[in-house]
Amino acid sequence: PENLKCITHDLNRMICSWDATSSANLGLTYKICYTNSEHFSLVCIETEGKRADIPVTVGSTNIRITTLNASGTSLATETFVLSEENVSLIPLTPQILNLSADFSTYTLYLKWNDSGSVFQYELDASWQIQILRKETLETVALMNYDSKLTGKDSILSWNWTSDIPLECTSYYVKIRCYINEPYFTGRKEWSEWSPIRTVPEKDTKPNSAMVFPQDKVVLVGSNVTFCCLYNEGESIKFMNYGSKSYPLLRLNKWSSAIKVQNVSASISSGTNVWCLLEPDGLEGTVLFVGYAPDTPQNLNCETRTFITITCSWNPGRATALYRQRQTKYILFERISKENVTCKVDELNKEHYCDFPVHANQKIYNFTLGASNPLGQAESSLLIDVNQRVHLETPVKFTVSTNSSTNAHLSWYIPGNFIQIRLLCQIEISNSNSERQLNVSMAGAENSNYRAWVDALHPYATYTFRVRCSASEHFWRWSKWSEEKKLTTLE
Amino acid sequence: MASAEQSPVTLQHHNLCSRVILLARKIRSDVASLLESYVERQGLDRTISLDSVDGVPVAAMEQGGELTMAEQLGANLQAYRAFQALLGEVLEEQRSHLTPLDTDFHASIQAVLLQVAALAYQLEELLALLGHSRPAWEAAGPEDPARRSLFEMKLRGLKVLQELAHWTVRSVRDLRQVAKQPGLSARGG
Repeated sequence: PENLKCITHDLNRMICSWDATSSANLGLTYKICYTNSEHFSLVCIETEGKRADIPVTVGSTNIRITTLNASGTSLATETFVLSEENVSLIPLTPQILNLSADFSTYTLYLKWNDSGSVFQYELDASWQIQILRKETLETVALMNYDSKLTGKDSILSWNWTSDIPLECTSYYVKIRCYINEPYFTGRKEWSEWSPIRTVPEKDTKPNSAMVFPQDKVVLVGSNVTFCCLYNEGESIKFMNYGSKSYPLLRLNKWSSAIKVQNVSASISSGTNVWCLLEPDGLEGTVLFVGYAPDTPQNLNCETRTFITITCSWNPGRATALYRQRQTKYILFERISKENVTCKVDELNKEHYCDFPVHANQKIYNFTLGASNPLGQAESSLLIDVNQRVHLETPVKFTVSTNSSTNAHLSWYIPGNFIQIRLLCQIEISNSNSERQLNVSMAGAENSNYRAWVDALHPYATYTFRVRCSASEHFWRWSKWSEEKKLTTLE
Repeated sequence: MASAEQSPVTLQHHNLCSRVILLARKIRSDVASLLESYVERQGLDRTISLDSVDGVPVAAMEQGGELTMAEQLGANLQAYRAFQALLGEVLEEQRSHLTPLDTDFHASIQAVLLQVAALAYQLEELLALLGHSRPAWEAAGPEDPARRSLFEMKLRGLKVLQELAHWTVRSVRDLRQVAKQPGLSARGG
C-alpha cells in the first residue's frame, strides 16, 4: 500500500484511500490498524476496497495497512504516520433544495441546506454560486456568499437578477462550499459542485416564437435587452427597437438578443420591439418607457361642506405612462388610519380626492401616496379642518325690499356649518358708489341665510352680491354669488 | 329602342348604387388619413409585414374567382359586417390599452366605424331591392383581447384599416358593375 490520502467532511471521521502496487487485485483484502486516540487502544478493521473510514485523530497517528490474499496470508505491510496536516477538509457536496424564477423581475431564487449539523460547533462557511447559460455553458455569474454554520441545519437562500429576460435562455445553477475551520491545520478545500439545476425546469425550446420581455415598463435612460425566440428551422433576419435595427447577439439555437442603451420616453402606445423571421414570421412586443411618479405638488386639503374634505394637488412631471401603468394615488389619514383610493382623471392637470369628515375629529394628518410600476412618492399635510373651510358659492340669492332705505337678502349654502360661525360679505353697488358690508352669523346645516341692509337711498337701483367664509379661522372666500338688482321704493 | 323611361326600381337601384359608391369612397378617404395617424400613434412602420395577422377579411380575390352579382354584394356585406366588429375591438383596445387619452383619435375611429355600419346597411337594402336574400351573419364572438399582446393589437389594428381601405376600392369596382346591370327586374338576374 502507498500514497495514503485522507479527507474529512466533518472533522469527525475521515476517509482514507491508498494505492496498491501489486497488480493482482482480485481477492485481496486490506487490514487497517490504528491507535484510537481516546482509549489509546489498537483498532483494526478489514476492507476489500482500498479505502477505509476511520476517526479523525488529534495530532498524529500511525496507520498500518496490510495486504492479505484470499487465504489471509499477509502479502505486504506499510505503516503511515498520519498527522492532521496531511488530512484535507472537504465539505460534503451541497444540494440545491429549490430553484425558482420570477420572470417578471428576471430573478432566480435559490434555496439550499447548509448541513450545519455535520459540525457540532459554529463555523464560518463560504459558498460559491455559479450561473451558466445552458447552451453555451458560458458563466454568467460567479458569486460568493458567506454564512455561519450553527451546528444545526439551516436553509440558506440567495437570489440573482439577470440583465436579460429569463425566458431568453435556460440557465444552469450549481453551488459549492468551503469551510474555514481556523484551528484545522490540514488543507481546506472547496467541496464538489452540487448537481446542476436548470431553470426554467424543462428545456425551453419555444413552442411559439415570441419576443421578451413582454409589454415591460422601464425608467427613461435604462439599458434594456430584448430577445427573440423562434422555432427550430426558423432563423432571424433582423430585430428592431422602434424604427432602428440593432446588432444581433446569439444566445442559443433559437434565441437572439439586442441590447438597447439609454432608452427615451415612449409614446403612449409604447415603443415597438420586433423581429422578422425566415422563412416568414413577425414577432414583437411593446416597451413602455417613462418616469416614476413625481412628488405630488401644491397639496391642499379643505372642506367645502364639512361633509367631505377635498384634497387637490398637481401631479408634477408627466410619467408618460397611462391606463394600467398610470400613477395611482392613495390618500391616507394617520389619526383615523383610514385610506381612500383616489379616482383621478388622467386628462386633467389638477387632481382631486375626497376624504370623509369624521365627527369629533378636528386634526387630519394626510399622506398622499403616488405609485406607478416605476416607483412611488408621497406628500403630507396636517390640517385643522375648522381652519380650512372654503364654502361653496352662495346660491338662490334673492333681494327684496318693502321700504325706501332697506333691503332684505337671502341665500343658500350647502353644507353642515353648525360648529362654526360664518362671515359673509355683501357688496352693494350702484352707478356712483360701491360698499362692502361684513356680517357674521351662526352656521347652520344646508340652510338659507339672511341679512338686511339699511341706509339705502330712496328710489335708487342697487346691485347686490354676497360671498362667505369661516368667521373664526379665515381660509378662503367662497366665490361671489350671482348679482341681483333692486330698486328701493320712493 | 331603348326605353328612356326607367322603372322606379331601376332608378332606386341606381341611386342606391351611387350612394354606396359615394360612401365607399368617403370611407376610403377617411381610412387613408386614419391610417396615417394610426401608424404614427402606434409607432409602427407602414411597410411592416402583416402576414401573421389573421381574422381580417381580405379584399384581394382569388384568381379566376368570378362571382355572381349577388355573391359580390354578399361578400361585400359580410366584409363590412366583419369590419364593424373589428373596428369596435380596435377602438376598445386603443381606449383601454394603447392610446387611452387620445380622444380625438378615438373619435376618428368611431367615425369610420359608423360609416362602415351605414355602408353595410345600404348593401343590405340593395340586396333586398334586387331580390336577393341577405347572407346570414354570425358575428364571431369578440376574441379575448387579453389573449393578444399589445404588439399584436397594434398589428391587427393596422391590418384592419389596410384591408378596409382595400375593400372600399373593391366595393367601388363591384358596385359599378352592379350599377351597369340595366333593366334588372326586381327579382335577381
